[in-house]
Amino acid sequence: MGPLESLRLSWRSIAGHKLRSGLTMLGVIIGIAAVIAFVTLGASLQAGVIGDISPDDQRNLYGWAADPDVEAGPGAGAQPVFSQNDLDAVGDLEDVEAAYGYAPLQTQTISDGNETVPQGDGVVASGSSYIRADTLEAGEQFESGEEQAVLNPAAAGQFEEDVEVGDELTITLLTGQQVETEVVGITDTSEGLSPFEGFENSPRVYVPTEPYYTEQAAEMGGGQQEGDGEQTGDGQQDGEQTGDEQQADGDQQNGGEGDDPQTAALAMQDEPEAEGADDAWFTAIIVEAESTDEEAIEDARDAATAYLESDESDAGEFLGDDLVVSLETSTELLQQLQDILSLLQNFIVGIAAISLLVGSIGIANIMLVSVTERTREIGIMKAVGAQNRDVLGLFLMESVILGLVGAVLGTALGFAAGYLGAWYIGLPLVYPLEYVVLAVVVGILVGVVSGLYPAWRAARTDPIDALRYE
Amino acid sequence: MSNTGTDSNPEADPSPGTHSNAGTAVSLENVRKTYQLGEPVHALDGVSLDVPRGSYTAIMGPSGSGKSTLMNLVGCLDTPTEGTVVVDGQDVSALSGRERTSLRGTEVGFVFQTFNLMPRLNALENVALPQLFQGISRSDRRDRARELLERVGLGDRTDHLPNELSGGQRQRVALARALVNDPAIVLADEPSGNLDTETEAQVLDLFAEFHGGGTTMIVVTHERHVAERAERIVHLLDGEIERIEELEGGPEGDE
Ligand SMILES: Nc1ncnc2c1ncn2[C@@H]1O[C@H](COP(=O)(O)OP(=O)(O)OP(=O)(O)O)[C@@H](O)[C@H]1O
Ligand SMILES: [Mg+2]
Repeated sequence: MGPLESLRLSWRSIAGHKLRSGLTMLGVIIGIAAVIAFVTLGASLQAGVIGDISPDDQRNLYGWAADPDVEAGPGAGAQPVFSQNDLDAVGDLEDVEAAYGYAPLQTQTISDGNETVPQGDGVVASGSSYIRADTLEAGEQFESGEEQAVLNPAAAGQFEEDVEVGDELTITLLTGQQVETEVVGITDTSEGLSPFEGFENSPRVYVPTEPYYTEQAAEMGGGQQEGDGEQTGDGQQDGEQTGDEQQADGDQQNGGEGDDPQTAALAMQDEPEAEGADDAWFTAIIVEAESTDEEAIEDARDAATAYLESDESDAGEFLGDDLVVSLETSTELLQQLQDILSLLQNFIVGIAAISLLVGSIGIANIMLVSVTERTREIGIMKAVGAQNRDVLGLFLMESVILGLVGAVLGTALGFAAGYLGAWYIGLPLVYPLEYVVLAVVVGILVGVVSGLYPAWRAARTDPIDALRYE
Repeated sequence: MSNTGTDSNPEADPSPGTHSNAGTAVSLENVRKTYQLGEPVHALDGVSLDVPRGSYTAIMGPSGSGKSTLMNLVGCLDTPTEGTVVVDGQDVSALSGRERTSLRGTEVGFVFQTFNLMPRLNALENVALPQLFQGISRSDRRDRARELLERVGLGDRTDHLPNELSGGQRQRVALARALVNDPAIVLADEPSGNLDTETEAQVLDLFAEFHGGGTTMIVVTHERHVAERAERIVHLLDGEIERIEELEGGPEGDE
């Protein structure tokens, strides 16, 4: 008897028990669906996050200083220890192309003259090369020291009339102070440009740290510490006034920060602390290596770390056992995210494996019932010339169909769930097609494994007993 | 013999010549079948019997006398504890399980008291079932099955499931199935036990027709009038042949 004939007969007996077959498949369906859904989500997440790092970003080292004992992901427990002087000095190092601070500004609104839109976060102060030339849709990078800004399309599109290069904007800071800026460039993406920002789409305005951050810092450094409504959980709003004392205090509070690295990266939007009126301190810095190759990155990292940890630097005074400088590329930073993701995936795969095991037992059980139920049919088939292998093939085919159909349905369900999730979160859809193949193989395997014993039992049924069976 | 009139239908032969050569279709020699149930039960206790090709044999005997056991041995479903069973020239005990199944599939056709049709297959598929295991193509199977169903008068019932057929129709489907592989021997174990007199007569007429076509028929029955349509009656008692009754109009009368 050919496999096609077995298929026809087996399919008929499955179709004859639709509800029973459906319930039997449920374990397999759920197991496969869980894996596919999370794999789809994971792949979409990876594509959405990691796919965004342009090659040029690869020479950037993202730095912060934190207590090495705080194990809450990159950037957690970071303290403002880097002075502008440090950054200037690091930028002058031989192996370093450029170094600049990174600081989100606390703002209230942005106005283009006619219209005012709220903008609580997303105004980022950094160095001019933070905006890479190849990410500019129009215009150019802002110049450090100038009152200029670069907007991303989401920020530009917030206004009734899209903001264009050359427009003047007024930014209202959290303190109520208003600063003017000229739009000199529009980026080509609304996603974050570095792991410090996170990678989600949102309106962002990029301005030079000088003058915007330094002035704001000077303002705040005057004494008044803002209570910050938008950045709760930051743990640093009520830090002490002086750098030294503040470290110990801040460490404690930051220890409790969320362990999601992306949140942690965002959490770097720390309130700046200023020692003097004209001296800004940075929590987060970016050091650009000479090129993207590994050696250049290592050299830049070593040189910058050496300088920052030395007594020459302002940061060096604070650094020690309690605070250690970290400089990492976005790939390295995302590695942690990926690690968490793969941990989660392993967990899901574990659950799925259990579900598949339960599913297999379900199939095996129903197949045994089926064999017993059809003892007489088996007897008839054998009496009219069915060989043991024909009977074996027939029942094995049945359980393989159960496993396979379960896997296919589970795959469809999993993709649907995964896409729904990815769509809901706003991630790009990715098709991990190799998992379809894997799911099909697993489905067949489950069918074979769970069907083998029942089919064997069926095959060795004695026709005389079977025909006598009522 | 009452059945001679129907025996002479020349068109009834499924394939003339195949089984017409002289000799024995089944030969039992000192066959013993013993079941060990604490005390050994001799279902058959030294049975020797030759069944000529193309003959029509009835087996009678009280319940428990070993009729079904004998049929299982002749039908290659079972092997004897002692002695030899030769079917179509082959010693059944010497065959492997697979060879025995092949022999059973091609040379033996079964008809049971309870019909034993596959409940989820329609009449046509039930008739075609034995050929499925012989690797015959689907279209050939269907042609052959349709032809046989027409011969048993069920050409218009091919799509019916067994539970949509009457008892007599089911038995005729079972008959068609028994003949589909053109077997040398047809074994019927109380084939008319569940049928009314009229349907029984139809089935027995068909038996006679097949016998006329050269098929060796062995029929187990409790009814004298059923047995009387055969050429001879083998009387079993307690696992032994009590006597063999030759009826008038023996083998030569049928040729
Ligand atoms: N599998 C078995 N195990 C034990 N004993 C068996 C088995 N099969 C048959 N027997 C015994 O063998 C004897 C003959 O049984 P068999 O079925 O051949 O009788 P029978 O002549 O067909 O009876 P009936 O007319 O009632 O069908 C009985 O005594 C029965 O108990
Ligand atoms: Mg019996």
